Amino acid sequence: MSTYEFRLPDVGEGLEEAEIIEWLVAPGDSIRRDQPMVEILTDKSQTELPAPTAGVVAAIHPEVGEIAKVGDLLIEIATDSDQPAPPAPPAPTAVPAEPQPASAPGPAAASSGVRPKASPAVRRRAREAGVDLSTVTGTGPGGRITDQDLVAARSAPGPVAGRATISTTPAPSTDAVGQMPIGEHPLRGIRRVTARAMENSWSIPHIHGMDEIDATNLLAGRAKIKELLRPAGDGLTPLAFLVTAVARALRRFPIMNASIDTEAGSITVHDRVDIGIAVASDDGLIVPVIRDADRRDLMDLATEISRLSAAARSRTIDVGELRNGTCTISNYGSLGGRFATPIIRSPEVAIVGFGAIRQRPFVVDGAVAARPTLPIATGADHRLIDGDVLTAFQEHIAGLLTHPVSLMVA
Amino acid sequence: MAEPTTSGGPGADQLRQMMREMIAARVFSDRAFNLQRQGRAGTNAPVDGNEAVIVGTSHGLDPIKDWVLPQYRELVGLQRFGDEVIDRYTLYVMGHPGGGHLPEPIRVWPPQISLAAQIPHAVGLAWGMKLRGEDGVAVVFFGDGASSEGDFYEAGNFAGVLDAPVILLCVNNGWAISTPTSRQTAATSFADKAMAFGFPGVQVDGTDAVAMHEAVSAARERAVAGDGPTLIEAVTYRLAPHTTADDPTRYVPEDVLAEWRERDPLLTMRRQLEALDLWSDTDHEAAQADADERMELAVQRAEATPTPPDGFFDHVYSEPTARMQRQREGFNEHYGLTGGGAS
Amino acid sequence: MSDTQTMTMLEAINHTLHREMARDERVVVFGEDVGHNGGVFRATEGLYASFGEHRVVDTPLAEGVIAGAAVGLAAAGMVPVPEIQFLGFSYQAFHQVAGQIARLRYRSQGRFEAPITLRSPFGGGVRTPELHSDSLEAQLANIPGLKIVLPASAADAKGLLATSIRDPDPVMFLEPLRGYRAIRDEVPLGEHLVPFGQARRVTDGDDVVVFAWSYMVDVCRRAAQEVAAEGIGARVIDLRTLVPLDLEAIVQGVEDCGRAVVVQEAVETNGFASEIIALINDHALWSLEAPVARVSGYDAPYPVGQLEDRYVPDQGRIAAAIRATVASP
Repeated sequence: MSTYEFRLPDVGEGLEEAEIIEWLVAPGDSIRRDQPMVEILTDKSQTELPAPTAGVVAAIHPEVGEIAKVGDLLIEIATDSDQPAPPAPPAPTAVPAEPQPASAPGPAAASSGVRPKASPAVRRRAREAGVDLSTVTGTGPGGRITDQDLVAARSAPGPVAGRATISTTPAPSTDAVGQMPIGEHPLRGIRRVTARAMENSWSIPHIHGMDEIDATNLLAGRAKIKELLRPAGDGLTPLAFLVTAVARALRRFPIMNASIDTEAGSITVHDRVDIGIAVASDDGLIVPVIRDADRRDLMDLATEISRLSAAARSRTIDVGELRNGTCTISNYGSLGGRFATPIIRSPEVAIVGFGAIRQRPFVVDGAVAARPTLPIATGADHRLIDGDVLTAFQEHIAGLLTHPVSLMVA
Repeated sequence: MAEPTTSGGPGADQLRQMMREMIAARVFSDRAFNLQRQGRAGTNAPVDGNEAVIVGTSHGLDPIKDWVLPQYRELVGLQRFGDEVIDRYTLYVMGHPGGGHLPEPIRVWPPQISLAAQIPHAVGLAWGMKLRGEDGVAVVFFGDGASSEGDFYEAGNFAGVLDAPVILLCVNNGWAISTPTSRQTAATSFADKAMAFGFPGVQVDGTDAVAMHEAVSAARERAVAGDGPTLIEAVTYRLAPHTTADDPTRYVPEDVLAEWRERDPLLTMRRQLEALDLWSDTDHEAAQADADERMELAVQRAEATPTPPDGFFDHVYSEPTARMQRQREGFNEHYGLTGGGAS
Repeated sequence: MSDTQTMTMLEAINHTLHREMARDERVVVFGEDVGHNGGVFRATEGLYASFGEHRVVDTPLAEGVIAGAAVGLAAAGMVPVPEIQFLGFSYQAFHQVAGQIARLRYRSQGRFEAPITLRSPFGGGVRTPELHSDSLEAQLANIPGLKIVLPASAADAKGLLATSIRDPDPVMFLEPLRGYRAIRDEVPLGEHLVPFGQARRVTDGDDVVVFAWSYMVDVCRRAAQEVAAEGIGARVIDLRTLVPLDLEAIVQGVEDCGRAVVVQEAVETNGFASEIIALINDHALWSLEAPVARVSGYDAPYPVGQLEDRYVPDQGRIAAAIRATVASP
């Protein structure tokens, strides 16, 4: 004994439902195969549904006047057969999505080394960076050259560079400075990228403020910490102090930690302080960014600065570490410069430049004395920043660096 | 109606066989209709009213030498051409690819959905038979509606030029879905259209199986003798909806339908045989029971025939192209199937 | 006696029809004006005299039944080789080509097959009236069940036609109108079969690969010569058959050269060049240095005589595309 469940089929080439007009059988009735069971009304016509099997009506479900949907159980028929009731008519299945074309290996996919394989986008980046793909080893599927392979190729200067040691004097060799062979060169790679960036920055109306800071306490404080934290303190450069002071000032004057977009008509004041540190490399200026500079202590900053500088110079730095800074410090003092007009990195609105600390005549208590002086030059986007803000900002930094002990309070 | 004779018309045994086949045609057709209503088959076209046309024709032909190209109602009545015809038709209405494959030696083509496209096929086939020196004919069925298609005129014209051994059998059952013949043509009859082709056109009572038998036999003789094609217009009436998707109560006049029901070919044949003492109630019941049993077997066989999920890749070409192989592999991989199949 | 002979493409076609009809008595040639007249281009010249009225048949003017009767003939066991006088008129037979010829095997699941070779000329440059030059190969290639064959040389016309006639599947054998008399090369006189799905390298080069078919192959060859003088190595590939397609030749060409141009006479939108570029995307993207260039007809119906010369790609347009692709950074 088994029960055949009969569900409303699609009787009209795409119907979804039907109204029950009249039941022609009742529970308990003995019926034969194809005997009309029920009259239904669809929007095409009125029609009878014949019994799919002989048997005894066990139950009928929708009542006269009800609307049944295709797939709804209409009637249960108890049959004698030992065979299980035939499966219900298949519900209309959604059309399966087109199967993706099989990514067949295709002929001779193995890298024969004849022509390198790379996506059109990677090829473009390689071209712009001046990298010859035939010299690059591909680690992608089928020996394909990926973006990572490209970055690795650019960072490896022939023989694999050893682990960069923590450097405190991030200066490139002076022999190479300003050198370029006579003749025409294509504007490519970092130089081209930098040129474009400078063009963008030039559209910013800059105002600059400059000052000299008495670095006596700064240097004394640094020496003390180095002594206390020896030998780890050896890595503590003055730059770590400069970053701390600038970060503190950005918190104090949030408008200096912003971006402006005149096209979109918006000013974004950032919630984080991510300070870019300009690093000179053989190709030009690279600016790795210290994330959350305001939340790091001096040693943490020193380590981070060292790491980023080394990575930048050896060209192993990750592209993500070069992006989305909120303000920049240009430490041209490490090159020996004193006074400059640093250019803001769009879309930031400020840049703080520091010159080399040198002994200079300074007025102390009414008399001229020799003091280590630290030149500071701050550039600001005059569309957003007015002179008074710029001056106050710079004065704040000067104050923090003149008396570094004030960094201990908020 | 003609008495059973020893020459020309069918003898007693053949008449009884024709009756059985007509009953079977109706039983098969009714079952297919019901299967659709039960969600077990797709759209199909009932045969009611055409039984005498089909069976009378089939008995006027030689299943070993002749070919039948149907439109789509005819297969239920072509039992004489092969026991397996009904199995294949059942697969066909159930949407199984095997439904199109009528295996050798059955000389019946699969149903044609592009109306009248089968007429040029039949002409080409007859032409080929003639070239090969075969002495059979090709008979092609098509409806009153199909006769309006360009293919009918092009093929009829070409058949005349070739003197092809083909019989164009226009089944005029009064309706092309909801278009009555009065709107289908301004010609006085479909048979008359043969004049444009240069060969005879004859009109026959399509409700009379013996008349059909006579007309088709005569046309066959002509063709085999090299005298060319014939257009036969079999006049009958559609006694059921056009297909399972049609509601004829919207356009068929009740009174006209009622009149034609009186001339139901099954009724007509039955009365005629009973008058000759060639048929009884017992015979009738037995014929119905046999047909019901045979159809039930066809249904069970069909519902037990598996459908390979990637079956649509088969038989596109004699050998699949490389691209098709790739597509098939991708298909099977995506759907987690093991794949396989023929060519 | 030499085993090859210089022939025009038309002569090669005629020569092959004679050979195949002699080889296989099941072959029947039919169409408008193919018998007594020998075909309006003389492609079927002499067949009627050699093989008689039963095997070379002048049909009424009815493309539909030409294509449709081929179905029946094939089922009867013959090998039909019908002609549609101009490919543009195949629209009149499209329902039989797409709905019937292409599907006979499929619908009958192998019970019937259609070893039909439907010959038809197409292509521009010969000042024909409307609908005589239209390129329809993309529309036909979109119909599963058909094979699409387009010879570009006389030798290939023979080899491909012979293969078509012997193939158990239906073949659309598309002949270049302009090439009938303009294309002339050495044709092997004995048995000569060119398999489907095997492209032919026409010129050598590694700077850019140029894919073409039918009459455009010769124009590409001349464009390649032109740019060779400038130091550009263009590899011209004659695809020969669009279905089945020699995908390996396409992939190899792109892998070797990194740059590609596809040339077609047909309307640009949805032309078969689009399909080739899609396949390059699927199978050889990682080797591309620059976008694949497409040189094709325009998105306007094939124009009148006075305007047609600039409609179809000419040597200059192809050469320009080659240069631009090679120069693309």
